Amino acid sequence: MSAIPAAPDRWQGVSRALLLPAALIVIWQLWALSLPAGSPAPAPLKVVATFFELIVNGGLAMATVQSLGRVLLGFVCAALLGIALGVLMGSSRIVRENLDPIVESFRPIAPMAILPIAILWFGTGTPTALAIVAYAAFFPVLVNTVHGVSRVDRKLVLAARTMGVPTLTILTRVVLPGALPSILLGTRLAMGVAWTAIIAAELAVGAKSGGGGSGGIGQMMFVFYAYNIDLNAIVVCMIVVGVVALMIDRLVRAAEHRLLPWRN
Amino acid sequence: MNASAAVAKLRLEGVTKSFVAPRTGQQTLAVTDVNLEVEAGEFICIVGPSGCGKSTVLNLIAGLDHPTSGRIEKDGQVISAPGADRGVMFQDYALMPWQTVHDNVGFGLRYGTPGRHMSPAEREERIRHFVDLVGLKGAERKYPHQLSGGMRQRVALARLLANGPDVLLMDEPLGALDAQTRLILQIELLRIWGETAPRAQRKTAIFITHDIEEAVFLADRVVVMSSHPGRLRAVLDVDLPRPRGESARVNPRFVELTERIWGLIRDEAYRAIGGDVETPADEPRPAT
Repeated sequence: MSAIPAAPDRWQGVSRALLLPAALIVIWQLWALSLPAGSPAPAPLKVVATFFELIVNGGLAMATVQSLGRVLLGFVCAALLGIALGVLMGSSRIVRENLDPIVESFRPIAPMAILPIAILWFGTGTPTALAIVAYAAFFPVLVNTVHGVSRVDRKLVLAARTMGVPTLTILTRVVLPGALPSILLGTRLAMGVAWTAIIAAELAVGAKSGGGGSGGIGQMMFVFYAYNIDLNAIVVCMIVVGVVALMIDRLVRAAEHRLLPWRN
Repeated sequence: MNASAAVAKLRLEGVTKSFVAPRTGQQTLAVTDVNLEVEAGEFICIVGPSGCGKSTVLNLIAGLDHPTSGRIEKDGQVISAPGADRGVMFQDYALMPWQTVHDNVGFGLRYGTPGRHMSPAEREERIRHFVDLVGLKGAERKYPHQLSGGMRQRVALARLLANGPDVLLMDEPLGALDAQTRLILQIELLRIWGETAPRAQRKTAIFITHDIEEAVFLADRVVVMSSHPGRLRAVLDVDLPRPRGESARVNPRFVELTERIWGLIRDEAYRAIGGDVETPADEPRPAT
C-alpha cells in the first residue's frame, strides 16, 4: 500500500523559495538598526523609501528607459551584422577560414576594453554606449549563427534543390529556419551581455564626463556614488538592473517559444 | 512523327563516378561503366550490397552530382543539374522539421519551380489532393516530430507527388520502417504509383532497396549491383502480373526470382559480414 503523493503545490514552492531571501532581509534590517544614527549604510526600509522617491520624481524610469533603448538599438545593429556575417561564414568555408582568426582574436577582448577608443572616437554620449553594446552583443550572435548554419541538415538543402528552389530562397527558407534555434540562443546570450555592458559603459562614461550628459541607469549610479553618496539609491539601481535582466531573459525565452513551435 | 517513342525515358551510358578524398587525395571508384535504359512508366528497383553505389547512381540521375565520365540523359537531354522533373525521396525523408505536414507537402509548390504558375487556390487544392491520397487527412497541422515513421514517409511521398515529377527517384524510402508497416506501404506505393492505370499514365520510378523481396514485389525490372567497384551485375525482368496483392508473395515465380537475385549477391553479402567465411553454396537460402 502506498500513499498517493500530494499534487505539487505551486505556492508551497514559491514560499519556500522566498523564505531564505526574506530571512536575509530581516537580518540586514536588524544589522542596520544596530548602527549609530546617520550612518550611510544601506538598509532595506531606506532602500524601499528611496525606490518610491525615485519612482515619484521620474528619474529612475527615465534612466531605465534610456539604458534599455541603447541596449535595444545596439543589439539590433549587432544582430543584423552578426546574423548576416554568420550566415556567410556558416555557408562558405572560404569565408569562414579567412574570418575565423580575426573573429577569434577579437572575441576575448572585453567590451569595456574598447571604451578608451570609443570615447576618443564617439565622445561620451549615446554613440559610445551604442558601440560598446553592439560590440558585446555581436560575438554571441555571430558565433551561434555560424554554428547553427553549418549544422543545418545537408539533406534538406539537397531536397530543396531537387524541387527547383532557387539558391537565395534556399537560404531564407531552409538554411535560416534550420539555424534559427541556434540563432535565438545567440540572441538570448547577446541580450544578457548587452545589458551587462551598458551599465558598465554608462558608469565608466559617467566617470569620464564628470557625471553629466550620458544618462542611463549606470550614469545614475555614478552620480549617487560620486556626488550625493547615497548607497540606498545605488542599491535601488542594482536591484532594477537585476530585475530588468531577468525580464529580458524571460521575454527572449518567450519569443523563442513562439518562434519555434516545432521544437516543443 | 513520334520521336519520343524511340527515346528512352532515362539513358545511362558508360556512367562512372569517382570521389577524391579531400585530405589524402585518394581516388575511390564509386560506380563504373553503368549502362541502363529505362522506359517511360517503368518501375525499376536497384538492389545490391551496401557500398555498391546505389545511392550514387540515384544522385547522378537527380543531378545532385555529376558523372566523372559517361552521360545520363532524360528524354534525350543530358542531365546537368537538379530539376523538379525528377523528384527525389530521401532515405530519412528530409522533411523540414519547422513546417507542418501541409507546408511540407506544399514546399516545392510554394518555393520551387512546380508551383510557379499556380494560383494560391490551385496550390491549396493540390496539397489537399495529395494529403488525401496518402491518407494523411486530419494531420495537416502536425509537425514531423509528432508523426510516426510511416506517417513521415507518407508526407515525403505526398511532397514528391505534389511537385508532379515525371521521374520518381526513391532512396530506400521504406528502409527505416518496421516490417509490418513496410509490407502495407509497399502495396500502397504501387497503388499511388498507378499500378491499376494503363502504363502510359504511370510515372517512371527508380527505387533503391537492400531488400530483395521488396524489389521483386515492386519492380518491373530489378537491377542487381555489386561492389568494389560498384557496377551493374544483372538486370532481371519481373513478369509477375499487376496489380500485385499479398498473393504475389507466394507466387512460385516470386520465390524463384528472389532466389536468383540472392544467388547473385550471396557471395558478396557473406564476404561483407565475415571476410573469409566459406560460402555455403549448396545450402538453401535462410528464410527471412
